[in-house]
Amino acid sequence: MSAPELVTVTIDERSVQVPKGTGIVETAAAAGIEIPVFCYEPRLGAAVGACRMCLVEVEGMPPKPQAGCTLFAQDGMVVKTARTSEMARVAQNATLEFILVNHPLDCPVCDKGGECPLQDLTFRYGPGNTRMTFDKRTFEKPIPISPAISIDRERCILCYRCTRFSESVSEDNQLVAVNRGAQTMIATFEDEPYTGAFTGNVTELCPVGALLPTQPRFEIRPWEFQAVPSVCGLCPVGCNIDVDQREGKIKRILSRNHPEVDEGWLCDKGRFGFSHLYAEDRITDPLRRVRSRGLEEISWEDALDDAERLLREANGRIAVALSGSETTEDAYALAKLVRKGLGAHTAMLPEEIGGGLDAFRAPLSAIRDAELIVVLGEDPVVERAPIVDLWLRKARRAGAEIVEIGPAGDVQIAPGTTARACRKLKSGELGDRLRASERAILIWSGGGAGGGSHLAALATDLGFADKPGCGAFFLPETANGRGVAEAWAAASDDEGPEPEPLGLLIVSGDEAAANPNVRALAEQAERVLAITMFHSLAVGWADLVLPGTSYLEREGTYVNVEGRIQRLRRTAIPPAPDELAWIAQLASRFEVELSPSPSLVFAELSERVFGGVTYEDLGEEARLPDRVPLEAAPAESADEPVPAKAPGGTLQLLRYRPLFSGAAVERVPELQFQRPAPEIELSVKDAKRLGVRRGEPVSVRSNGTSVQLRAAINKRLKAGVARIADDHARDLHPTVEVSK
Amino acid sequence: MARPLADEVRAIAEQYPESTSAVLPALRIAQERHGGWLPPEALEEVGEALGLTPAYCKGVASFYDMFHLAPVGRRLVEVCTNICCGLRGAQDVLQAFERELDVRPGETTPDGAFTLRAVECIGGCGWPTVVAIDDRHRLNVSAGDVPGIVQELRGG
Repeated sequence: MSAPELVTVTIDERSVQVPKGTGIVETAAAAGIEIPVFCYEPRLGAAVGACRMCLVEVEGMPPKPQAGCTLFAQDGMVVKTARTSEMARVAQNATLEFILVNHPLDCPVCDKGGECPLQDLTFRYGPGNTRMTFDKRTFEKPIPISPAISIDRERCILCYRCTRFSESVSEDNQLVAVNRGAQTMIATFEDEPYTGAFTGNVTELCPVGALLPTQPRFEIRPWEFQAVPSVCGLCPVGCNIDVDQREGKIKRILSRNHPEVDEGWLCDKGRFGFSHLYAEDRITDPLRRVRSRGLEEISWEDALDDAERLLREANGRIAVALSGSETTEDAYALAKLVRKGLGAHTAMLPEEIGGGLDAFRAPLSAIRDAELIVVLGEDPVVERAPIVDLWLRKARRAGAEIVEIGPAGDVQIAPGTTARACRKLKSGELGDRLRASERAILIWSGGGAGGGSHLAALATDLGFADKPGCGAFFLPETANGRGVAEAWAAASDDEGPEPEPLGLLIVSGDEAAANPNVRALAEQAERVLAITMFHSLAVGWADLVLPGTSYLEREGTYVNVEGRIQRLRRTAIPPAPDELAWIAQLASRFEVELSPSPSLVFAELSERVFGGVTYEDLGEEARLPDRVPLEAAPAESADEPVPAKAPGGTLQLLRYRPLFSGAAVERVPELQFQRPAPEIELSVKDAKRLGVRRGEPVSVRSNGTSVQLRAAINKRLKAGVARIADDHARDLHPTVEVSK
Repeated sequence: MARPLADEVRAIAEQYPESTSAVLPALRIAQERHGGWLPPEALEEVGEALGLTPAYCKGVASFYDMFHLAPVGRRLVEVCTNICCGLRGAQDVLQAFERELDVRPGETTPDGAFTLRAVECIGGCGWPTVVAIDDRHRLNVSAGDVPGIVQELRGG
């Protein structure tokens, strides 16, 4: 790419060179001059000039104040801000006086106070007093626009940041301005809750205290927060976050803009999910099963003795079920303990990803820059990796063509046939266009194990390895499934037979405990050692329960969907020692050398699998490692067996795991409204055949199980397929009968 | 029988490259079909037909003065109180209607027969005061004309 043309702009008599087309607000910033703004936010799309706070005088333009945010740098432009232009100063003062006409100035009782752009700019600009003596407009306040967010309409200055987010970033169009002029207010339709994966972002965008999270409220002042830069661990994107804590307790989570990963957006699960740490059923002490009395709390000394005994008695007949939420270091430590110390090499990894994708590595932001994107798979992208959905929307707005291939796609395929559809892309019209493009992206979103290997084979065939603008992303199901798999593999090269009979099952994490396959294994195992945060299922079968910690409570690294290694920080004090601390102690009892320090474990691991990159190299804004060229064509996993076509009159059940589900979400009261409604999605054709209308109750049956659900019509869904969220599909079999 | 609202709305939308362009005419038809105002279901129907959210439709409908988001009477009386009409006795005309109908501007008579509104310019500045009754303009209305108009509207 050629270097952008530079232009010289004079701002308040300072000359500055910027690329042509740079916004005047940024140009002024480059010259060290602030142009104050409220509504301007480049991530929301084109500037709207709604608030008029950025008024400047521009030589050669009509002799009236101009909205700086709507102007772009041109060569020879001479701009005067309120610092040097009397016209701009008077206009800007008047603007601020107007903005404050209806603002209640209740800063002393406003949670925004202390980090409020309106408060800050009112101190720095404006006349300092008001000539307005009439009543301010009043509203009922604060009222919830959802259980997670409240709105105070009196404080709103109508900058339209929130509605622009809703319209042109999340594209949900639920938050709108109703009425006109001074009567305008921000609202949802008929006071329905503002629902969606990304609603919480409006609380960060709001430049006043109008949209605030319902938690925390009246608890804390912004200057009392200590922000710890970390990474979200609830999905494979790994959005960068600032975790605001006070006295060791997390109070809120904000986005921390990583321009290649998240662009400063954060989903509601990541933003509001943290309060699960403080759930009532959190396990804080080790628990031992005592035959007559159930579980009893024991000391850590006793717990380690017990664990040692369980490990020795199993005599190497040990299997480890991993969640994919462990840090890479914890997974490595556990792997080293059982593989090196006990010669046990059997693990249930959270998912099979398949190798080879590192040859097509690209930042998620490459999606935005793409011209052609193919999304393969059965799961909606937003349910697996929400921020990827925002990148896709941004790409579409920029004119990219997006082809979705799946049971509910532009190209409809039957469930279980994603691998076949993937191979088909090696030829054909779409395949040819992918091959010809310099900016094409492939995404695999659920639908069978080993998708990564199919994707890598396709990307190899299409020649993506030599095209830096082309990339392939496999969206894992778990936050650190990739890291955990690498860590397990790195701990030992030895292999061993499947333990038979299984002496000890180690269940690591609440996600593994919720997995039906793990549950089945636990029934066969003679003993079970569970590491969980909550009194969940595993506690029912475990002989020894060791308290788990959360991604917010431990140091370590996660490997995200791109293959980017990012650092988690200890942002809160856990109620129990973190996993690495006691795994290291246990390891020493088996003569396995293991440091309790995540940075040293990472160093050891990095030598083996991450090319020796150090903990310090990762930093707070991790860079994407270079592509790893493929030495040979990647081996494709075998296709999943294609489920039998549903017999006449029945439907094929397509399950998906909703974003708002799982151990964390279940324990956050403010997120319950986001969980999927008890619905079954039907195709238009099937709905017509069954005579079912939207919202009508239907009964869904298979093999003696029956579930009552509401019908929803999905115009994109393939006929013969019915989609139900896991929460509601429960024990239904893959073929279901639906009737009124 | 009239075509279903959704069909009519979609037919309008086909004339434009973007479905948002059809919102205003669609809302106008929906208002006609729903007794002169836009209940939430009307906004949902229009949204459904155009692939827009009902919230978006409400945002548009609430911006424009000629869409009504609360029920209106069977006859809608709108008195222009803008400059030209205001100079020619619009306030007196409005007060005469208030007296005759026994309601305040913005209110509906208890029997649901009339809604009275004071509105901004409706484009009849050459013939003040202009009163729109069910969207038909009456020109050069004076306060003295009002009892007769009301009687006529009552079918007397």
